[in-house]
Amino acid sequence: MSYAPVRARLDAGELVVLDGAIGTEILRREVTWADHQLQTRPELVRSIHSSYLAAGADVISSNTFQLSRRGFMQHFKDAEHMRHIGASGLETRWAELVQAGVRLAQEARQAAGLGDSVAVAGAMTTLEWCFRPDLAPSGDATDAEYRELASVFAEAGCDLLLIETVNSVREAVAAARAARAVGLPCWIAFVPDEAGNLFSGETLAQACAALEPLQPDALLVNCAPPSDIAMGLRQLVRHSSAPVGVYPHIGRFDPPEWMFTDEYPPPRYLELAREWLASGARIIGGCCGTTPEHIAQLSTRLRM
Amino acid sequence: MRARKKPYEVIRDRLERGRTVVLDGGVGSELVRRGVRWRDHGLRTDTAAVHELHREYLEAGAHVIRTNTFQLNRRIYQNVFRDAAHLHHIGAPDLDQRIPKLIPRAVDLARAARQQAGRDNVAIAGVMSPLEHCFRPDLAVSDDQARAEHAEIAHLLAQAGVDLLLLESMNTLAEARVAVAAARATGLPVWVSYVLDAAGNVLSGESLSDASRMARDEGAEAVLVNCAPPEDIERAVAAMDDGDVKIGACAHIGRFDPPSWKFEFFPQFRDTDAWPPPRYSAAAARWQDSGARILGGCCGTGPAHVRALAELAG
Repeated sequence: MSYAPVRARLDAGELVVLDGAIGTEILRREVTWADHQLQTRPELVRSIHSSYLAAGADVISSNTFQLSRRGFMQHFKDAEHMRHIGASGLETRWAELVQAGVRLAQEARQAAGLGDSVAVAGAMTTLEWCFRPDLAPSGDATDAEYRELASVFAEAGCDLLLIETVNSVREAVAAARAARAVGLPCWIAFVPDEAGNLFSGETLAQACAALEPLQPDALLVNCAPPSDIAMGLRQLVRHSSAPVGVYPHIGRFDPPEWMFTDEYPPPRYLELAREWLASGARIIGGCCGTTPEHIAQLSTRLRM
Repeated sequence: MRARKKPYEVIRDRLERGRTVVLDGGVGSELVRRGVRWRDHGLRTDTAAVHELHREYLEAGAHVIRTNTFQLNRRIYQNVFRDAAHLHHIGAPDLDQRIPKLIPRAVDLARAARQQAGRDNVAIAGVMSPLEHCFRPDLAVSDDQARAEHAEIAHLLAQAGVDLLLLESMNTLAEARVAVAAARATGLPVWVSYVLDAAGNVLSGESLSDASRMARDEGAEAVLVNCAPPEDIERAVAAMDDGDVKIGACAHIGRFDPPSWKFEFFPQFRDTDAWPPPRYSAAAARWQDSGARILGGCCGTGPAHVRALAELAG
């Protein structure tokens, strides 16, 4: 387990640097983002992990965001239709990709000679689209699917689960329970709106209270512009008993890809990160649009 | 001076004489196979590839070519955001203007290819489709929403100069009815094509004969079936009644292979080698024997398949 050094650092009130974006980094390297590229371009994914390790990240996350059984199933009318017209192996492809994603991060860590000093986080998100709480499946389905997903991540050997861009309290609780069931540390990151609330309309205070019995290892906000992230951070600092963190996105979402703007070059990102640190954030990284240069600024200039 | 016939009149005459009309093959799937990154249907980044594919279908002998507008609608942008406010807050600044810009561009590319090929008799079918994912009838939108959205798309296609409107992969009767009405309101001829389930029904489970009757009653000139494997298409065509309306078919070939990431329909089909052009046209000949007079290809087919169909049509 490589989570111990991360836990020690958080317990001591020190900064933990999380990596930056993977999906948009694949795109920036001129490869389509419609696919995670875990089996088609593994060397590319590994090289992005390597860049974040070289930039000084303490935790790198697997390129597995939004991978799930449901992710493939939702392109078909139902399971029968999938078997009738779909490519072979689609029912289990999500699990193969999750395993490949965790393995590529582990390989990059090993190649960098970083062994146990860096943790590999298994990146999961909501079962349906991360920005659409209205699509979330019913309670029973949610619990079963999270348990299945978490167990594949655990088998793949990640050091913690990073449950990202969560949009409702219900899914956060289901995901945290699943993480607990497989015995992995878990960080839960919520996407905040402009007022610093969840996309479901619930408040971060409610989320913190609901998660308290499950003792999450950290609570974060992610995948919103820096100003919204600052609003969410304020709530987390007030209501969370676990360490808190942030990783905003920068640039603009141009579906299915990400449009880069020069609004937040690494030095400006660092200035904002100083404010987040001063506000109480102890885990800082980057979401969509951030690059290894952004993370290098954090790891070299922000550590106390 | 005698006015030259409009392209669709040539098609209609051909159908009236009982002759076979050849539609083109897969557009999106062929662009993806050629390496086009599927964003904005390639209409911002890969217009040369779109134009070239239309050119190849014309050269292969298609009588009707389809615009690269399948499932190109406002929802493919809106669906990935929480709501309109979120889209404006974090989305690229021009997302609201994409559809009014890209649909005419898709028509322009088909028209330019026709003009360059000197094939004035070829008709351009403006493609409309379900507003949500074509394989997800459970997501079909309410009539009121569908009415306005289909009307906008039909209007954009008509204004840009298509010769007919082809409603493809319609997966529920309710949405097909609304879409046909919106298409008919432009004054253009309308063809309706249904996506099938394994039992030969519309994908929603509704009966294909009910669906055909509805389309005819609403004024469609042809009813087709599409985006199912050739064997399924064959059974469906054999069961269709060609008494009152022209019928047609486009099968997909290979296996649908959605990527791990994309949210909306992504036309990626693999293992299409199982259906080389001679095998495909032999299957199409059986559809023709059952009365189908509009023959084309759906996902996975390419210009070589259309060339084989053109030979079959004579």
